[in-house]
Amino acid sequence: MHLISQSRCKQLVTLSLFSLLFINLSAIAEDGGALYNTTYDVNLGERYFERQCSRCHGFDAKGNDETGAPDLTGRLSRASTDVAIFNIIRTGVPNTAMLPVAEAVTDATVWQLVAYINSLRYNPDLVDLDGNSESGARLFTAKGDCDSCHMVNGQGGRLGPDLSRIGETTTPEDLGIAIMGPDEEVAPRWWTLRVTGRDGETREGFRMNEDSFSVRIMDNDSNLWSFRKDQIQSIERIEQSTMPSYEQSLSESEIDDLIAYMFSLRKEI
Amino acid sequence: MKRLTILLSLVVFNPVFAAEDPFETVMTPAFSPITWERLLNAGDEPENWLMYSGTLDAQRYSQLDEINTLNVTEMELKWAYQIPVIDRAETVPLVVDGIMFITEAPSNLVAVDAQTGRQYWRYDHDLPEDLRICCGRNNRGVAILGETLFMSTLDAHLVAIDARTGNVLWDVEVAAYDSGYSKTAAPLIVKDKVVTGIAGGEFGIRGFIDAYNAETGELEWRTYTIPGEGEPGNDTWSGDSWKTGGSATWITGAYDPDLNMIYWGTGNPGPDWNGDVRLGDNLYSDSALALNGDTGELEWYFQFTPHDVHDWDAIQVPILADINYQGQERKVMMWANRNAFFYTIDRETGVFLEGKPFATQTWAQGLDANGRPVRVPGMEPTYEGIMVSPPITGGTNWYSPGYSQQTGLFYVTAFDGEQIFFKRDEDYEEGERFTGGGGRYDQPMDAFHSSIRAINPTTAEIEWEFPILPRSSAGITSTAGGLLFTGSADGYFFALDAATGEELWHISLGRRVHAAPMTYSVEGKQFVTIASGNVVYTFGLKE
Repeated sequence: MHLISQSRCKQLVTLSLFSLLFINLSAIAEDGGALYNTTYDVNLGERYFERQCSRCHGFDAKGNDETGAPDLTGRLSRASTDVAIFNIIRTGVPNTAMLPVAEAVTDATVWQLVAYINSLRYNPDLVDLDGNSESGARLFTAKGDCDSCHMVNGQGGRLGPDLSRIGETTTPEDLGIAIMGPDEEVAPRWWTLRVTGRDGETREGFRMNEDSFSVRIMDNDSNLWSFRKDQIQSIERIEQSTMPSYEQSLSESEIDDLIAYMFSLRKEI
Repeated sequence: MKRLTILLSLVVFNPVFAAEDPFETVMTPAFSPITWERLLNAGDEPENWLMYSGTLDAQRYSQLDEINTLNVTEMELKWAYQIPVIDRAETVPLVVDGIMFITEAPSNLVAVDAQTGRQYWRYDHDLPEDLRICCGRNNRGVAILGETLFMSTLDAHLVAIDARTGNVLWDVEVAAYDSGYSKTAAPLIVKDKVVTGIAGGEFGIRGFIDAYNAETGELEWRTYTIPGEGEPGNDTWSGDSWKTGGSATWITGAYDPDLNMIYWGTGNPGPDWNGDVRLGDNLYSDSALALNGDTGELEWYFQFTPHDVHDWDAIQVPILADINYQGQERKVMMWANRNAFFYTIDRETGVFLEGKPFATQTWAQGLDANGRPVRVPGMEPTYEGIMVSPPITGGTNWYSPGYSQQTGLFYVTAFDGEQIFFKRDEDYEEGERFTGGGGRYDQPMDAFHSSIRAINPTTAEIEWEFPILPRSSAGITSTAGGLLFTGSADGYFFALDAATGEELWHISLGRRVHAAPMTYSVEGKQFVTIASGNVVYTFGLKE
């Protein structure tokens, strides 16, 4: 078994007279991620991931609703460190379909897998952005008027997504796309539905929730309307964003500032 | 202290102590043993649900009509059984004289009172930690003969369990789990044998269908789904690729007693998405096989997707019916395939009769006169990725379709989607995945569509459809009450008018429905059971 315990590793640092075996184990735990983080390692990790992990987690590691395998490109709910990711891959998650990798798989391969999983997310400490986040914060509430629709830490409107932790899940490039071309990728939650009821009246609003038998929309005045699908005449889906593009209304440097501000929005740990 | 040591060593080392079930075993009430005669005529005792698909023809059609189109709105929850191991339930329970047998993930079995859901006994199968499973910890059900239940397990065993007590009668290894084999499907009883398939198509196995002596557990026959060296069809695999070609058999088949033929579907050739290493048609992957009911010898085959490179297993339950086709009574088999085409096939000969797409597809221009697909060029997976419809999960998948003797319609859960398919180069390593690529959606799931579709088997035309949110993986059951029961990905269980597709009743169960419904009655009262999430729910009419 190649399980590595973080707490054990910390104890070993203070108990320096322990056997060489344990000192070596400590070295693997602390250095494993650092030893296997080259582009070559990431590529090998990706290769192994595609073969062994993608069936459940998806070829793009974004998870699978049918198997219940989680998205690995955002926050990892079960592991916040390299060692924890390593241990989950090595030992699995008990009583779930997340099985351990075979004993014959080397630690090096597992570390390469860790390197690949890490490569799917940004380490904010390593990102150097052109913009100024303080200027971006001012733009967010003043010229950009973003807070009329978006909430950050409890302040702002309800019509758009809450952006309090947007920096944890979205890359600066994708933030730029969202600001300049909001129609490029619109999550289903933010589609617009035009629903005509039995009374012939048509209402339009955000697709707050839809299932096989019912649908709920929120109009521009924040009114929530709920419909049974067997009691409506028609339903039209508009897979575009209601957010305006800021490509013309903000300068390039202002957009950089806004990106820097939004990328800084993350939960303090 | 010495006594304590001896006691401890007894507990640790004595296999009898170690194997003892920690649960108190409670016997079920007595029931009349399920003879082969009763299984042959299972449709005539609709109060029971005696096999995975209800009857040997796998129609999933019940003669019960207490619950019908006029009173289905009066259905209410009667009881719920919470499966203790958190996972997803794909089980279809059996009911025998008021006793229900429910399989659970990963490979457990429980007997409960079918009127109350209260437990009689349970069997927990010990599993190794290093299982090789493709797609979750599933078990879909058991078979019964006499007073014995037969269950597949994830470590590729077949276990015979006393239905009265839950005690193990025999336990045989069907194949080595650490080579990539596993078992998830309910076996099928044919006469005095337990016929069962194998999973592992993503691990470079060589698939087969087995028959075991129900009394002893001895292997009676094995029919490989990939011909061996020197056998007809082996030359449809380049080089040695037949040895690792998959063609698994991971869903339950059907049986025609008049023709004495077993019908069973086979899975994808392996590696799934890289066909370069297995040139040829790759027989008998992605096929319907007709086997002799006594010997397992191949009578005929029909290959739906020759040289499949998209993982479109023919792992669907074959539905058998006698229908009037172009003025003649024909014994047919109906099949909505993962490749998005529906087929009506003569089940005596394997001759293709009708076939049309029932879901969105871009890979074939159509079917030729023999039912062989006419491919659209350039739809094979590439290193860069290529968009193809249907996606890997198919136009449908393993979820049971249904057929109503009242309407003459075939019902299937269909998915209109597309996916980017990738090819990768891989070497086979025993016990490791051997897939050669994968797929990725480039749109959110809500951008696609799912429907329950009713197909006329004489024309292969869609008669009606009922849209649901994608991507449902629920099976379908219809009844003499004019009803069709099924579920959806967003956790609904609902009833449609089987003739028109009109929605008559629905209830939100809160979690995805991954299983097929079944129906039974106790003391004259009809019940309908469905698994959703981790719970088995049973409904009946208000008192």
